[in-house]
Amino acid sequence: MDEVATKIVDILKKHMKEPRDDIGNDTALTDLKIESLDLAMIVFDIEDSFGIEIPYNANEGEAGDFKTVGSVVEKVRSLVAEKAKA
Amino acid sequence: MSNTSEKRRVVVTGMGVVTPIGLTVPDFWSNIRSGTCGVTVLEGIPEQDLKIMIAAQIKAVDHKARLRHWKRDKLVTMGDRYSWFAAMAADEAVKMSGLEVPFVDPYRTACIIGSGAGGLTTLETAYRDLFIQKKKATHPLTLLRIIGSSGAAHVGIEFGVKGPTFATCSACSTATHAIGMAKDYIQNGVVDVAIAGASESVISYGTMKAWQALHVLSPEGCFPFSKNRNGTVLGEGAGVLVLESYEHAKARGAKIFAELSGYGTSSDSSDMVKPSVEGPREAMRMALTNARLSPTDIDYLNAHGTATADNDRNETKAIKEVFGDYAYKLAVSSTKSMHGHPLGAGGGIEAVVSIKALEEGFLPPTIGLSEPDPECDLDYVPNVGREKKLRHVMSNSFAFGGLNAVLIFSPPPQ
Repeated sequence: MDEVATKIVDILKKHMKEPRDDIGNDTALTDLKIESLDLAMIVFDIEDSFGIEIPYNANEGEAGDFKTVGSVVEKVRSLVAEKAKA
Repeated sequence: MSNTSEKRRVVVTGMGVVTPIGLTVPDFWSNIRSGTCGVTVLEGIPEQDLKIMIAAQIKAVDHKARLRHWKRDKLVTMGDRYSWFAAMAADEAVKMSGLEVPFVDPYRTACIIGSGAGGLTTLETAYRDLFIQKKKATHPLTLLRIIGSSGAAHVGIEFGVKGPTFATCSACSTATHAIGMAKDYIQNGVVDVAIAGASESVISYGTMKAWQALHVLSPEGCFPFSKNRNGTVLGEGAGVLVLESYEHAKARGAKIFAELSGYGTSSDSSDMVKPSVEGPREAMRMALTNARLSPTDIDYLNAHGTATADNDRNETKAIKEVFGDYAYKLAVSSTKSMHGHPLGAGGGIEAVVSIKALEEGFLPPTIGLSEPDPECDLDYVPNVGREKKLRHVMSNSFAFGGLNAVLIFSPPPQ
């Protein structure tokens, strides 16, 4: 895992009631027992760490970008790249 | 507040406090007995331009340790400081009551924990983040921390309360209204058990500035009824009671600390800051009627006693109108001289003072009272507390806006 992924996994672990060490790109967020409020806090932490804004609406259920750890990493990577271009 | 012969009696089976002079009832009461002052130099505010540099702040509180055992509500330790205090006080009160949790009859239980201003310090932090730090977002828990009913909700979740759960809000009468309302609910058969009181924690730069602008804070200390008094001192904390119908408490063999025998409430309906004599007087009279007591049955009155000229003189006048000549025989003290003015939480903390005074037969002092204001000529139990067997005690709360609430505590029913 690269720096972006490691940072994101660390943030996820910080918000998990029972942090575990086997989190990979394929891990589904639902398997991490992350609930809606946790997700709001994770999004906040990621935004703060990377200086980006993640379009996310808690009412839209399991948004595609947030199904697995890998999808979160990809989304953040693209937002960071967009920011660098801007 | 109606009172007919069929109405049920209401008793106190649990108490909890968080104050600058004690984070539990035993510590707090021991400091009240010895006349300990909780007013200190203001800490934790980076700005240096405040004129008032004192407050009755709670220092060195480990809320995480105190609430580590909470099982149903895990979010409370991440809540606003006022919610921690509400939770800590409720936790002590429920433990003391010996009630099984989660409550076995959850819909017959109420949780009424008020707050004058809810999570005001959270709001200040969020605005600093947005307006000064130029952050793009507030912390995701900001909204939940701010709302003034979050204290009641956290406590209700933890103890499994499914009956009426909400906050009261009436500035300095908030806790007293919560306790009085819980009494009405139990008396009228709406619930059998209630957790009731209030919590407050608003000592921040913005709040200090707002109070400063009203010119009612003292730069030196809280000296109620004293010739030298020059304003009140902001405090913080929580005071929570567990109330039950007498039958409910008796059936489970609970230790009963006192009967909550009277509640009276009125509104001056005249001015936002200048109190009337009539409003407080009528609230005291209603509480006496509700308790079916005469003024001469009261041995101790825990005054609102904020150490502002308006309150102290006005309250003294109102007491004289209710108690007549007996006012000079009545012991009246303001424990705000020790724990400061915790705003909405005041009535909850002072309810605990009143119950402990009754239980132990001890008149708590008004400290810092070397020379009384000539217009304040009652027995304010100056500086040192006294032993005295007490029959009934009254506790006054009078708020900005002229919102008055009064409680009377009596010995446990025989």
